Amino acid sequence: MITEDKINFYIDKIPPTPKALRDTLLLLNAGELIKASHVAAEDLALKAYLKNIVNKPIYGFKNEVSDISQIFGILGVSASQQTVYNYMMTLLSPKKWVLFKLNVHTFHDLQAKLSLNWKKILTHLQIEEREIESAITLLPASIIVAEALFNEKIDDVKLLRSVHDLDLNTILSRLCGVDLFDICEQISIKWEMPPKVAEIVQSSSGLKPSKDDSINTLAKWMHLLLFYELSQPIYVEAGLNNFIDFQIDFVSDIYDDFETLMEIQ
Amino acid sequence: MRATVKQGMAVFSPQGFLDGNGTSAFLSIEDIDATLKLKVDMVLVSLKKVVFFNRNGLDVFVKLFAKMRLQNHTTVGFCDYDTKKFNAINNFYKNDLNFSLFNTQETAALFTSSFKNQNKNVLLYSEDKSQRSAMAIELHDNGHNPIIAQSKEEFNLKCSNTSTYDCVIKNTFLGQMGQKVATRVTGNAIIYTVFSFLDAEIGNQFNIAYHNNSLNVGFRLFIFDAYKVVSMNVHALNFFSKLASSGAEYNATICFVGMTFDKTPIIFKDNMEDAGIMFYDQMDDILQNKELLEELGASSASNVKNKRIINKVIVSELQNFIHATTATIEMMTNSKAVKDSAEVHEIQIADRRGKIASSIGFYGDMDGMVILVFPQDIAKKACELLIGENTDDMELILDTLAELVNIVGGKVKTLLSDRHISVDITLPRTYASVDSLLEITAGRKGVQVDLSFDNDKFLFFLTR
Repeated sequence: MITEDKINFYIDKIPPTPKALRDTLLLLNAGELIKASHVAAEDLALKAYLKNIVNKPIYGFKNEVSDISQIFGILGVSASQQTVYNYMMTLLSPKKWVLFKLNVHTFHDLQAKLSLNWKKILTHLQIEEREIESAITLLPASIIVAEALFNEKIDDVKLLRSVHDLDLNTILSRLCGVDLFDICEQISIKWEMPPKVAEIVQSSSGLKPSKDDSINTLAKWMHLLLFYELSQPIYVEAGLNNFIDFQIDFVSDIYDDFETLMEIQ
Repeated sequence: MRATVKQGMAVFSPQGFLDGNGTSAFLSIEDIDATLKLKVDMVLVSLKKVVFFNRNGLDVFVKLFAKMRLQNHTTVGFCDYDTKKFNAINNFYKNDLNFSLFNTQETAALFTSSFKNQNKNVLLYSEDKSQRSAMAIELHDNGHNPIIAQSKEEFNLKCSNTSTYDCVIKNTFLGQMGQKVATRVTGNAIIYTVFSFLDAEIGNQFNIAYHNNSLNVGFRLFIFDAYKVVSMNVHALNFFSKLASSGAEYNATICFVGMTFDKTPIIFKDNMEDAGIMFYDQMDDILQNKELLEELGASSASNVKNKRIINKVIVSELQNFIHATTATIEMMTNSKAVKDSAEVHEIQIADRRGKIASSIGFYGDMDGMVILVFPQDIAKKACELLIGENTDDMELILDTLAELVNIVGGKVKTLLSDRHISVDITLPRTYASVDSLLEITAGRKGVQVDLSFDNDKFLFFLTR
């Protein structure tokens, strides 16, 4: 169904970071918001993405924000960086979703919700570290990878899952010895993302705990946040709820805090 | 969301958070309809991977449960929860609990009529006395040995000695159970459980398609467990007489066990005996008597009067059958299949050693049976994806092989439906040795296709 050759082919197909994006990220890293916004404005697709994202209701701006320097100014350095990483992920996303019933807008919404709630979690945990803030951007990549690898065999996958409760990540790791999160890590390396980003995301699978306790704690929050968002009707209907296995024991010790923070009743 | 179906049990497994907003998206009417078409005994929602739920979230499922029960008399409920979740559900529905709760799927399986591993020693406890009794009766009816703890202290004490019991049941509640005629398989005999007053409704409660198909795949002995039957009327009498007559052409035997005629006219017994139905007092009178079993046809499944031959309709769809099989095994093993030969004759297996087999029947616009014979190594390899590890546990391999052949059957069904041919598939059967398979296929011609997967030989046989 999925072979190692297919995975290698997929990884080879991942484009390198476009120059404008790389320069934008470098400038954002240096805290040069104005310069970064000038470079970002040269990439029309990035410009359109940023405008679209920031003007979503979830950000709550009354008037339309269209100037890139204004957008970066509103978002601040970390969130701008995250948004640029989110954009990089969308470069990989398919034009037409087959396995998951998603589209450009619902996928962007998911990215935005994850980013905002992740920020809320980090504030609660009193963590201010750019690399950690941007770690959430890689998580939706696992959805893109699953879509890319499994959509040709969608009927087989459905049939297999109707007799045995296997998630896509388990199928992939049993067939090829690598899982969706390993491939996400490959993407992060190819795009020269900070190594910590990949490490947090790998642990957030709930299957490969890190040796570093602080990373594990972050991974638990990330795992729970992912399933919190994937329990929203739109993503359940998209078929995302059970694409990876929810590790309920992994998150049991932080659940009460999560419930309070997200005001779940 | 699609349910996983195993041992007559369909389980939906939502993950994450169940509140009023999101729950309706988990389970749609279409999902329910598709599941009910599979004629399952139970439909359950697993709460194993649900970290949060509220009353609104569960209400969506509970409303669907009511609809299912009304439509199909299926047992419905929740499973896979801890004590905290069990208490929460009881709290939400304390006066209105009309669905079932099973602490695990394994517990639920003990209460399904399709559960094949009988004779389990089951320790059970419920604070509700009537629940304790209800569970014990159901378990006993399904062929298990229930041991009831009368108090929590006794339960905790007995629980500490885990090796004594095969299963321990706690935090479980039996709502309205299924009203279908329960079916279980013991060796080569099929046991149907009937109860209460038998009238014209028996025609709706009895799965005639399953019965006919069991005849087609070689079952010859059908036992009606009638211990709990109060009486029957003339409509039920006609039903059983017709069932016996239609089975006669297959040389099948129908027996009634435990039936009393205190409230049923004794002439009914004479009429049923005239139709060929036999009566026994105790189940063990049949099951423990090997000679009688042999006489009644339970030890030989090959005694078919009208051996049917493979026809042109089936052969014209042969490619679909082979494609479904090879594609499934290619998917499971990540290897390529090569067709070595295809011929029409009785099944020929060169070397019977170290081989296991499985079969699945199909019926509808066309009927027949697909048989797959595997060397054990390929079977193990093919099952690795489902099991997740390399194992030598033969029982586990055979169980998984049944799931694999179920996937093949499902794929056949889809491929044929694309060509507007509608078929249903039966439960799969597995054979730990080729000899038991040959009893079924003796005298039957079919198409034999020899295939190789990475040089491992594998046999596909299509027959009627």
